[in-house]
Amino acid sequence: MSVTRVLVANRGEIAVRIIKACRSLGIETVTAVSEADRGSLAAKLADRSICIGPPRSTDSYLKVESLVAAAVGTGCDALHPGYGFLAERADLARACADHNITFVGPTAENIKKMGDKLEARRIATAAGVPTVPGSDHAKNPHEAGALAEEIGYPVLLKASAGGGGRGIKLIWNGSEIETTFRTAAAEARAAFGDDTLYMERYVGNARHIEIQVLGDLHGNVVHLGERDCSLQRRHQKIIEEAPAYALSPAVRAKIGEAAATLARSIGYRNAGTIEFIYDNDTEEFFFLEMNTRIQVEHPITEMITGIDIVAQQLLIAGGQALPFKQADIAFSGHAIECRINAESPQHGFRPCPGLITHWEAPEGNGVRLDTHCFPGYVVPPYYDSLLGKLIVHGADRHQAAARTENALAAFRVEGIDTGIPFLHTVITDPEYLRGNVNTRWLEKKLEQYAAAINA
Amino acid sequence: MELSEEDVLHILKLIDESKFDYFQLEVGDLKISVSKGEPIPLTSAPSSVSPAPAARPAAPVEPPKPAAAAPVMQKEAPKVEAKAAAEGLVPVKAPLLGTFYMAPEPGAPPFVQVGSAVTEDTTVGLIEVMKVFNSVRAAVKGTVVEVVAQNGQFVEYGQTLYLVKP
Repeated sequence: MSVTRVLVANRGEIAVRIIKACRSLGIETVTAVSEADRGSLAAKLADRSICIGPPRSTDSYLKVESLVAAAVGTGCDALHPGYGFLAERADLARACADHNITFVGPTAENIKKMGDKLEARRIATAAGVPTVPGSDHAKNPHEAGALAEEIGYPVLLKASAGGGGRGIKLIWNGSEIETTFRTAAAEARAAFGDDTLYMERYVGNARHIEIQVLGDLHGNVVHLGERDCSLQRRHQKIIEEAPAYALSPAVRAKIGEAAATLARSIGYRNAGTIEFIYDNDTEEFFFLEMNTRIQVEHPITEMITGIDIVAQQLLIAGGQALPFKQADIAFSGHAIECRINAESPQHGFRPCPGLITHWEAPEGNGVRLDTHCFPGYVVPPYYDSLLGKLIVHGADRHQAAARTENALAAFRVEGIDTGIPFLHTVITDPEYLRGNVNTRWLEKKLEQYAAAINA
Repeated sequence: MELSEEDVLHILKLIDESKFDYFQLEVGDLKISVSKGEPIPLTSAPSSVSPAPAARPAAPVEPPKPAAAAPVMQKEAPKVEAKAAAEGLVPVKAPLLGTFYMAPEPGAPPFVQVGSAVTEDTTVGLIEVMKVFNSVRAAVKGTVVEVVAQNGQFVEYGQTLYLVKP
């Protein structure tokens, strides 16, 4: 079951990242490309590329059978799904197993269990990990009212079939319950075909904290510390940091242990991330969900631990035991990641595909850029707008932020618009530098930014 | 290691007298490639990379297939396409990735061969993905002038299977 040739079942910067990790381990790579990605950097770097279909991802990167056939047909013994696309689809993990292809990720069972929001909540409770106070099911406005009194206002009414921030209603007091419940149920029925609602306490002053875990095939599970991903725009992370600087040492220790315990309780394998909501006011943390894949923001954890997480994924998939124990994992300094998207901040952040005529990446101490872009690259309109990730390490948060500011200032991209100007205003904001932020802070900042542009 | 002109001439003579069409010698930084036929294609991969992997034999669950070489599509495609364009031929391309079969079942006559007349709806082959066989239509009216892909070959999306003279 050793891994000798990997099919990279993804595109963009993560495909490049996987190819580089494979190369560092002497593993051959075949990268799957859609017709639009034939000339991609991943296709150039891989030992071979194979075209799996037309540009539309439903006809290429989202086709389980094409990817498995590509792996078998090119003699790969493993498949890395990256993130997005099919990364959290249990049927891909299962199809790989059926064809003797090692899936570089968790088991199909792991994915299935954690993919169901209510099931994941039950697993967390069983493992003794706190979940947001709330209910599994609020059946009618009357029941919802009673639950809300029990939980304490304000509360969130959520559609069980929703996700990614959709199907969520905020209720401030009892007078709103009746109307909001009926509206939410009707909307959920229309949008998701399922009007099951559940209720959660609303944490107004919250941070998004997540823990990176690694589990091998021999039952060893470790965590690699936390990341603070509170700066989000429409539930998309924009700037991430490691470690989570707002937590006290006691809370840090507790949240890391909770994540490892949860992963251990389901026999979790490979890399995964457990997301928590952290209440700035009460210092409580609650389990939100688990992402059963490598994440976009994994490099900030690599920068402070010195561990190559993608390489570990490949080694774990190949059957090797983790080369470190929890006590061996040391944290050094602070890392910040900025997501560089092809978007136009001056036009409401609309996506901005097209030809990159000039691409001058920043360099310097502690600066790392994970990207698939180069001068002359045409950003195709079919996929997400991520151009790359600027990852900066410093001895402390202050130094990391200062280096990030310099790197953003030196980053020159022409031909298309990018989010760099907006990122620069965030990274130099006094409130941001004081660390005085929560999950709603960036939205407020965006309004100010838009107002300043229109003024 | 240094090679004199005399050494090179000697090597060329040995190759010329041998049955081999192609010879490549690499000693340290020194690299000699000799071919009796067409010019040797330059590999597009960076020199630090291991050679492009050839296909492993298919997984044991698959039916036995002719030992088709790995398709190195990126390098062959321009040649076939250039020929098609120059001679006014229309390529019939693989509508999906998978294993290409020229006949409905092993031992049966092929769907088409050189000289066969085809219309838009003529089935010219099958492509198997995960045990599901998909028929390939010609999508052009004319005569098959070249069979480009091999039976049992693993083809990628958009790979040229046949050339048809409309």
